[in-house]
Amino acid sequence: MGSEAALPKWAWKPCIMGIDEAGRGPVLGPMVYGCLYCARSYQKTLSTLNFADSKTLKEEKREELFQNLKADESIGWAVDVIDPRELSSKMLKKNKINLNEISHDSAIGLIRKVLSIGVLLTEVYVDTVGDAEKYRVKLSERFPNVKFVVAKKADSLYPVVSGASIVAKVTRDRALRDWVLDETAENMHTSFGSGYPGDPHTKAWLEDHKHSIFGFPTLVRFSWGTCTSYSKDMVEVLWDTDDIDEDGSNGRAGKRQMKLTSVGFTPVKRKSEETESSGKGTHEQSGQLAMPMDIGDRLQIPKTV
Amino acid sequence: MDGGNEGSPLLRSETTVNLSWKGEAVADLTGKVHQLPCCIKYDGPTSVSDYFKPKSSGMEVDGLTLEETYFRGRKLHGTAVPLPDGYSGFILGKKSSEKKTNTETSDCWEANAKFQNVTVWNHDSLPSNDDAFLRTFHWFAVAKALHQPVNVEDLESVPADEDLV
Repeated sequence: MGSEAALPKWAWKPCIMGIDEAGRGPVLGPMVYGCLYCARSYQKTLSTLNFADSKTLKEEKREELFQNLKADESIGWAVDVIDPRELSSKMLKKNKINLNEISHDSAIGLIRKVLSIGVLLTEVYVDTVGDAEKYRVKLSERFPNVKFVVAKKADSLYPVVSGASIVAKVTRDRALRDWVLDETAENMHTSFGSGYPGDPHTKAWLEDHKHSIFGFPTLVRFSWGTCTSYSKDMVEVLWDTDDIDEDGSNGRAGKRQMKLTSVGFTPVKRKSEETESSGKGTHEQSGQLAMPMDIGDRLQIPKTV
Repeated sequence: MDGGNEGSPLLRSETTVNLSWKGEAVADLTGKVHQLPCCIKYDGPTSVSDYFKPKSSGMEVDGLTLEETYFRGRKLHGTAVPLPDGYSGFILGKKSSEKKTNTETSDCWEANAKFQNVTVWNHDSLPSNDDAFLRTFHWFAVAKALHQPVNVEDLESVPADEDLV
């Protein structure tokens, strides 16, 4: 989606961009990164569009604002929808990629994409994930020509981030509303609620959809602590990549390995270093390399003219 | 696995494995047998096809066509490995004991299903011909060579100075 030919004239002038996320906390559904950009000269008009405090807005109001900003020819936007399967599997890899890293990579992917279509980004405002200063340095190293402002609650401080937050939140809500479950078992439904672990609807949905062997439908983020509380209802599954405890007492892991071998399963020693350095290992083995490519497939950049 | 229908009884008890299935009466599970990189502490039926949905990943490595799927939040990479020519896979079940002739416990097994390939799944790494599971098939060639009868001509064709170990 989106095309370079449709790049508006204002994109050649210095532009600002905001980046924000939606759906970081929920135990199910995608996490969405959204960005919104416009010419720096449009900044004042932007602050009159009432994007501020987007998270306190009602859903209908957010939808309305989203329609407005989509229709606004002086504004460009893009989203990165990170599938729950991707979140779970990255966080449960042998070399785990944590949520902050996934978030950073998504934001980096958005910046790269917007730059690549020819938008002259000079300032980017980002709602922080993890330590703000470290995050700012990380971004500045990758994009030395862009000035980054990384802050807590950036979505209520900078209208351009508020706008990005609307883009992200509306996209996440829609994705969840239109979600088609992969699984084909009977009596499944899509009353997920908000997806937050504390939401009674979400709790009820999880209870209705737990499965003793498969755990949950793949909409659920298996790497979330919430899922662990259901483990008593599920058959134990042992992986050859199960961790050695970080405090050094690898008693549990040792026991697990022993159990694996006692049922005739031999843990295979991976040769990941070899395959990676020989270039034979594919992008799946090295998360950081993989991200920009993955993001390319997910990005939706709408026409801005 | 290899055609023969004599089970190899470990003890002198009545253990037989009957692989003589009656035509199409036995289900063909080709494409539905999966080797997962984990141990599932469960033995029995479950709704696999409703939850376990492999799809092509559009990649090929070492001449292996790759598939991908998810299980318990992990991403798995797999490939369907055909069993070597002349071999078949069987799912065995204990024969329902219709004839309880005496108190002797007879371990009678029969084939409930057969299959011609196994989909082997890895977590975190792509399947390759170096995987232990795929390499086990090399044994078939070795076993065949080992058990092939050697006749006089074979021996004579070996140069005298070649070391036979």
